[in-house]
Order: sequence, then C-alpha cells, then structure tokens
Amino acid sequence: MASLATMLPLPPREDYRDNIMWVDEQLWGHRLWDSESPWLLFLEFLNVAEASKRNGQLFSNGGHPLLFKPYKRLHLRNILFNNEVLTRISERHPENGSAWNAWLEWMSVNAKGVIPRDFSYLKGRFHSFQQFVSLVGILRGSAVESEANKRWSSRFVFPFGPNALYEDLNITAAGKVSREYINFGRTGELLYLMLCRSKKKDELASRFAAMLSGNNQWNKLLTLFQPDEAEDSETRANSFLPYTGHPVFDLLTEDWLHVLSLDLPGFDAMPHLVTLGAFHVMLYQLRVSSEILSKHLHFVCEVVAPKKTLVRELSAFNYQENSLLSQKAVEAYLAGIISSERWQLARSQSSAFAACKAILEEQFRWPNDPEDYEGCSEPDALAAELRRAAIARHKQHVASVHRQYGRDVGLVSKRGTNRLRYAPTDALLKTLVLANVSRRMEYKEFLDLLFTRYGLVFGEREAEQVLLHEDFEIKAFQTNSHRLEQRLSSLGMLRRLSDACAYVQNPLAWGQS
Amino acid sequence: MISQPATRWIRFIRQYGPIPRNDNMYDEHIRKSAKRAGIRPLAFIHPVEQDVLAQFGPERKERRSVILTGTAGDGKSHLCGKVWTLMGGSEEQWNSDDVYYTLDIGSGDESLKVHVIRDLTALPPHDTKGRYADKAELLTRFCDLLCEPDAKVQFLIAANDGQLVETLQRLPTTDNVARVRTIVESLLVDGRRESPEAKLTLFNLSRVPCVALFDLALDAFLDHEGWKECYASSVADGFFGDRCPIRHNHELLKSPLLRGRLRSLFELCDCNELHVPIRRILLLFANAILGHADAKDRLMQAADVSTFLQKKTTAKASLFNNLFGGNLSEVRRDSLEVFDYLNRFRVGHETSNRVDNILIFGEADENLKPYFDKLLRADTMYGADDSYYAAQRSYVEGDDTDPANDQFLRLLVSQRRGLFFKIPPDWEQELALWELTVFKYAGEYLDKVLKPLRQGGRVERPFLARLVKGLNRIFVGMLVSSDRDLLLATSISFSSSKVSQILEDRVPVTPRLNERVELVLKHDKPTLHVQFSPTISATLPLNLTRYEFLSRVAEGALPGSFSRECYEDMLAFKSRLLSRLNERRRGEGVTDTNTVAFHLLTLDPAGNPLDDVVEVTHG
Repeated sequence: MASLATMLPLPPREDYRDNIMWVDEQLWGHRLWDSESPWLLFLEFLNVAEASKRNGQLFSNGGHPLLFKPYKRLHLRNILFNNEVLTRISERHPENGSAWNAWLEWMSVNAKGVIPRDFSYLKGRFHSFQQFVSLVGILRGSAVESEANKRWSSRFVFPFGPNALYEDLNITAAGKVSREYINFGRTGELLYLMLCRSKKKDELASRFAAMLSGNNQWNKLLTLFQPDEAEDSETRANSFLPYTGHPVFDLLTEDWLHVLSLDLPGFDAMPHLVTLGAFHVMLYQLRVSSEILSKHLHFVCEVVAPKKTLVRELSAFNYQENSLLSQKAVEAYLAGIISSERWQLARSQSSAFAACKAILEEQFRWPNDPEDYEGCSEPDALAAELRRAAIARHKQHVASVHRQYGRDVGLVSKRGTNRLRYAPTDALLKTLVLANVSRRMEYKEFLDLLFTRYGLVFGEREAEQVLLHEDFEIKAFQTNSHRLEQRLSSLGMLRRLSDACAYVQNPLAWGQS
Repeated sequence: MISQPATRWIRFIRQYGPIPRNDNMYDEHIRKSAKRAGIRPLAFIHPVEQDVLAQFGPERKERRSVILTGTAGDGKSHLCGKVWTLMGGSEEQWNSDDVYYTLDIGSGDESLKVHVIRDLTALPPHDTKGRYADKAELLTRFCDLLCEPDAKVQFLIAANDGQLVETLQRLPTTDNVARVRTIVESLLVDGRRESPEAKLTLFNLSRVPCVALFDLALDAFLDHEGWKECYASSVADGFFGDRCPIRHNHELLKSPLLRGRLRSLFELCDCNELHVPIRRILLLFANAILGHADAKDRLMQAADVSTFLQKKTTAKASLFNNLFGGNLSEVRRDSLEVFDYLNRFRVGHETSNRVDNILIFGEADENLKPYFDKLLRADTMYGADDSYYAAQRSYVEGDDTDPANDQFLRLLVSQRRGLFFKIPPDWEQELALWELTVFKYAGEYLDKVLKPLRQGGRVERPFLARLVKGLNRIFVGMLVSSDRDLLLATSISFSSSKVSQILEDRVPVTPRLNERVELVLKHDKPTLHVQFSPTISATLPLNLTRYEFLSRVAEGALPGSFSRECYEDMLAFKSRLLSRLNERRRGEGVTDTNTVAFHLLTLDPAGNPLDDVVEVTHG
C-alpha cells in the first residue's frame, strides 16, 4: 500500500459542514464525482489552473493551500447562451441602429445575473449588428458538448483561453446566482491537485502557462463581448486530495507532456488531454483500490470482433471484477480500523460504545448527526451501521466513476453485445498512441508499454501474465492482437514492414515523412 | 511417350508451386532436389548480390559487418552461401546442419575472422562446440563490434526482420546494444543500408522492388532449358501438343502483352509497399502454368494433360485464372500472400458496363462483335467455348432465379481476368482497361506520374490539379472545386473537424515566391511536396491507394467511402501542414495587434471558394 504511506491528515472539519462522513474522501479525495463528463472535468480543471496562474501559483506548492477565484463571465454567457431572440431580431431589423436598439432593449429585460442589465458597450465594438450576430453564431457553434441539452448557465464556450473560462453556475428565474456542483463536481480540482503533486509539474506549468496566455485571436475576440470593468468573483477553496504523490499522478503528467510536446496545430491537443485526464482519474481510483486490496490491476481489452470470443468473455468478467474494486476497498479500509488495536482496546473498556464512537467520529466524522445512528449502544452494531451507510453512500456516485468515465473515454462499451466490457474506441487508441509513441515503436513493445503503464491487455504475452492458466488461450489473444493491428493500421498509425515486423507510428509526430 | 527429362522438369517446377510440401522448400532443399533430378536449379543474380559480395572481397579496406534481412523466401540463405564460397569456406561444412560458422583468413596484420550466422532464429542458445557462452553473449559481442570497430573481425548475420528486432530487444541492455537497436530500427524503417554511427551494412531484401525480382525470375524460369525438353517430347493430342494447356500457358507467359500487364501489377504492388519474395514469385509462375482445379494438389503433371484434353476440361487450366490462384481452394489461396496481394486488385470482380456488354451481348451485337471476336472467339483455349455460349444464352434468356446464372457469373470472372491480359494496347483507353481493377487510376499512375518522374520529368498539370482538388475537399469538408491552391482550413476549435470553414492560408500550386505544390520522386516513390518557404516543407508519400483515393474524392466520391486509412492519413497530413504553416508564421514574427481578422470560407454554386474577411478591433 505504497500510496497510503503518503496519506495526508484529514482537513478541518469546519470546511465540510454538510459532509455526512469522511470515507470515500479519505481514500480518493473531495471528491470523485461520476456525472462529470471528461470535457467538463477538463474545463473545471482549466478554471482552477487559470485562476492559480493569475495568483502566480500554477501547479506550485503541491496545491497547498488551493485558493482560487474563477471567473463568472455572465455578460458573455448571456450573449451566447441566453439569447434566443438574436437571430430573429437581426432578421426583423435590417437597419443597424434599430437592430441594436431592439436587442439592447430585450436584454435589459431578459438578461440574468448581471447588474445593471446593460449591454450597450457592445455597440461600438462591431462594424454592424449583423457582424455581431454572425460572430455569436460562430462562437456558439464551438460550444463544448453543445448537443447536451443543458440550461444556459451550464453551457460552455470552447476554452480558447482565459476569456473563455468560467465556472458552472445556477441562476434562478429571479436572477440569483450560486455555484453549481452538478457539472463541475470538483473532480476537476482533484485533477489539478494530482498534477500539482507530480514529479514533472514544473515542465507542465510552463506548457500550461503558454496555453493559458490566450495568445490567439479567438480568445482576443471574446474580449469584445465582455465589459471593461472587472467582475466580482468569489474565492473557492477546500479541495482535498489525500496523497502527496502517486505513480498515477506522474503517469498523467507524462502523458500530457507527451501530447503537448507534439506541438499540434491550434487546439488539436485538447481532446487528447481531455480523454487522458478522465482516463487517469479513473485509473487513480482503481489503482488506489487495488493497492488497498493488494491486487494487480489490469484491463483485458477486446478489439471488437464480429462475434462472441473468449477475449470478450474474459473482458466482461474482468470488467465486473474491477467494478467492485472500489467498494471492496472501502470495506477493507473500514475493516482495517475495526480490527486495529486501538479499536479493540476501546471495545474492551467499560464505556466501550462511547470510546468506539469517538474513534469513528475522529476517523470518519461519523456519526455526524444524532440521526445518523439510532441503533443500540453496541460497538459492533455501530461499526456495522457505518459499513452499511458508507457502502450505500459509495454506491451513489463514487462507485460509478469506473463505469461512467470508462464509457466516456471510450474504454468501456457494450458495442456488439449487451454486457459492458473493455473495448477501446478508435479515438482512445489514437490518444494512447499520441501519448506514448514519440515517432514509432515496435508493435510488441507498444503492447508491453500499454500493459506496464496502464494495465491494458491486448496480446497473448500480456494476457499470459495476468490470467489464470485455465482462462488463457494463446490463439484467442493472438487474434485479438492481430485485430488491434488492423485497427491501428486503418487509423494510419501502424506500418507493417513484413509479416514478422510492424511499427506503431505517431502520424502527427514531427520530422516524419 | 513423354520423355524422362520433360517429366522430371515438370515435376521439378511443380515443387515450386503451392503444394503442401512447399513450406520446406528452402534454398538447401531445392539444391538437393535439383541435384537428384539432374536439373540446373532456377538461378539468377540477385539485384544486391554484387553489393553484398563486395563487403567481403579481399580488396576491401574497411570491414563492415553485414546483416541480411528480409522475409522468408527472399534469398537470405542463398546469398549467405555465396559469401561463404567467396571467402573460401568449404561446401561440405555449409551443407551440414550447422547455423554458426567461423572462418579465419590471412595471418598477422592481415588476419580476419569472419563469423557467419546463417539463420539467427535457429542459432542454438548454447554452442556444443563452445565457441560462444550463450546466444546473448555472441550477439552482445556483435553489438560491441559495431560500435567499437575491430578491423580484424567481421560478422554476417541472416535474419528475418521481425526476429532480428525481437532478438535485439531481448538482449540485456548495454550502451552498445541500445545504440544498435536504434540504428537497426531506423535502417529498417527508413529503408537505408548504412548509418554513419556503426560499422554495419544492412541489406533488407524485402526492400528490393519485386518488379525487379519478377523480371529476373521470369527470365530464369522461361529461358530454362527444361522447356526445350518439353518441346522435344511433344505428343500430338497430349503433352506439349498444340492444345496442351501447359504449353499454351508457357507461351502465354512469354508473350509481351501478358508479361507487360503482369509486370504492371507487380510494379503497382511495389507502389503500395507490398513485397513479394522470390520464393512466392516462383510459386506464382509454377501455379500459373500448371494450375488446374481437377489435378492432384491442383497442379498438373505431364501425364495429366492427355486426360484433361479427353475430358475437355482444359478451360480449368486457364493461366488468367491461375495467376490469381483461381485453381486453388479459398483457404489455400488466402494463405499465400502473393495471391492475397494480386487479388487486392479485384481483377475479375471489377468491371465496366462496356466490358460486360461485350462479354454478355457481344456475340449478337453488331457494334460489339469485333471486340467479342478478337477477345473471346479468337481465343480457342480459354475464350468463349461451347459451354460459355450455352451459359450465356441461358443467362440472357432465362429468369433471374435460374441457378445456372451463378455458373455464368463465375465464367464471367474468368473471362474478365482474361480480358485484363488480352486487351491490346490500342484498345486500352477505349475499353478503360484499368476499370477491370479496383484501381481505375492505376494505369494513369504508372504512365503519367511514375514514368515521367523516373525519367526526370514533370507530371502534367491536370493530374496534379486533380490531386489538389481531392485534398481540398478533404481539408475543407465541402465539395469545393478549387484546384489552383491548396486550401489550409480549420474549424474554430479543431483542425480536423469534418467541416473546416476558417481559411488559414492558401498554397499556390504554381510556384510563387517560395511557395509551391508539386509531385516529386522521393526514395523512388511519387511524393506530394508542399513548400512553404525555402526551409519549411511537408511531404506526403503518394502510394497507389492514396492516389486512387484523392482522384476519386476529386471526382465526387465521399472521403469516408473508399478507405478509412487514407482519410486518416490525409487528416494527419493536414495537421502536419498546419504545423509547418505555424512554424513559418513564427519565423515571420507575427506581431500582436489589436485586430482580430480571419477568413470565413463559403462556396459559390459552382463550388468555388469565397472567403469573407471578418475583421474587428478591440481594446
């Protein structure tokens, strides 16, 4: 349990008054949130990074303390996403002045969360109302996950730079603004802390400083949509990641650096960072779990075959097993406390119940409220109730990270069957190649690397190392590996020199012809 | 009566064919079998033979070790044996089962020790003669020698490329081993022979163009005196008589028209980076001449001829069909890469209306009859025979559900294959010869692109323009018709999004200042070259598949419909072009202004790109 050795103490209780217990948080941080898509996770992270950069603290001090002031950018958001009349007004008012007047009037009534509801600063900044409308159209078209039908205050323009970043908000019909935690569930803060505590954080900081400088015309264009006055922003705090370091943090940073080092044009690196970010958060959860359980973590991946194969069966089974890992880790972690000497000593005291309860209150901040436990005054019953409550709570969100993130990054899928298993998509494969292959790499070496870095199993050599003897069938995995080869080849990422020799190649690497 | 020498000759070449035993037909076995039969083995001077031997000649000053690599059947062992003989090694020793040999030459300052590993895979982990401690030790010694040269030692190692890479990968890592790994990898991938960093020459026999091997092997095969024996023992109505399919196939293979077409297919294989080793080329010839679906192992013996003539099944020996493995079972055919590669052209399955009209209605149609007569009726061996006419009639007159139709469709495949080899050059254009393959631009690729480039000339403007148009359609994601500039477009967020409406720049096809787009020859392959500035450029190797892809997209096909791989390749190329463009901009020192300006791309009804400049000033 290497990572547990570097576990941080619990943060101050007062910072988390609404928190029912501190179990998942102590194992993985505050917090892992399952319903945050990879893009939103990345946007949340970027907000933290940008605000930290403004403070001169980008990736520094291991994120201690992490205090940041993200933007709200309500003017921009009203213009882009709370403004369905824009096109209609532009059609009805061919004359420039009357179009501006009609629109400004509409905004003065309908804009939300801005005081005063005055957008007249825009008028002098564009050649015409038509131009303004067409630029809004272009920017709107770039919105991240625009297909998801979300309310306007949770819609995000593409992260061109600081001018495009803002936090998730809830805005009531009356215009009351509050921080929303559904889309930005704070996992982006964990991601930021993971990077802060990786070995190559300084190198990453210089890359992100450049990325967040916003030196591109789209970021500049966004300036035009916002008033000159600085906006009010609030300080956010209380992010918590329990480890001072972990191999996954380093892997994540290396992967990101590798992709960034390719100097892809424009924002082309971003989708890969997005995928890798969520992938590593998922890996982080499972790695920590498997360390607690002293198990080897691996993912038997099926390269989708036209019909049912042994690899598919094994993959589905492996997926089921991994799905239970985090819950088992919670159980083992709790069991560790209950079997500790301290607990046993407390249990043998005359005031056993009170002593044991004190231990749980200290370690897990539970029971937090008299209603949390209404059972008999028995240490064992108390411990059993904690276990039940902790598992029930774990299952609500944290347990689903594996499935949810796994599906979102393209690792987990039901394609061609009705059971979930690991069946990487082309997009994920491409990302993995970009993150691992500088220029080219011998195919078997590549498979070995995917196995040692992430535990991904495609070929027979890797399968043999993790499977039980009776489950292993060399032919099935050879075919699987062959299929992967064909997939990579169809993506322009594999070159076969002869029937015995193939190289995975990074088609976007510099210097290759 | 068929003479003994003729029978033996046919039996001998049959051994090169796809018989089950062929998997063991290595160099040494062929030599033994030829010796037993008293036949001179098929032999020719390998294109790299002189270069390989020169590495070991006594006059050579600088001693470089040599790796001979390639796939099975490329002639590694054969060349190794030649070196051995040149160095004065004994034939007896070479004929033993040993894998590792050493030879001491000269003495004193002139002394040289040559280590020969004739098959790296078969090299035993430990030497029974105690010449090396273990395999790893010997190979580490080899790596050390390459990095810290010793003029008195030279290695010759023959190895399949995959096993070579893997063996090096598995050696305990030292600085020298790591260096050699990198060097060997880059030599293999870049197709070079030497690296300045090590005293090593690597001959990758799989890089020898298979068209060169084809020419040499075909001459050696056809010119062999064995055929004279066959003519000498010709039997009327039997072996090597007028209607003998073996003889007819042999003569067909000799004919310049057929040879030229088959050669084109090999040349196109080279252009698509598909390599056919010598052993498989010989297998193809043996199968082409002897193939017959009803014969034992589907290859005829001399004695089979009269039987098949009596049974009137000579059509099943059609060389046109045999060249694509049509005589073999599907499993056998698919397992042999030479047939896999040749069948990728889909000759027999691809067609045009005109060709099918000739085949189906040509006999009765006044306009088509001259073609039918020349291409089918005149070919009394494999053209239209009674069974063809019968099947054709029932196909034309019968109803759709007639099971006999399938039979006719199979005959059509055979006949289209025949046409591919029979259409004379002056009908090539008119009958659109290359539409009989999946690569309808293949002929143009050979004649209008590859040929002029190899002759040091230029590719004519319309062909380059079409490629540029294809690229533009992919880069922009709209049916743009522009072919004078290469349009580098992105979307506001990603450069590879399906529709890219933000025009970053245009690169003119006609040279302007330092910019241009042209087709050049690089590593003997056509390559699209885009020049941004005197020092900044990007290239796209243009193999046949990519050429076909871009041409088809230019003529209206959707990018995703032909080849996913090509589409991805083009997007990666676009990404590289944009990176180069950024590099140039950085070099030009773009000033930070308060003006945001970009070009929004739209199309007029004719598909011409119009760009609206959108400009706003801030701050």
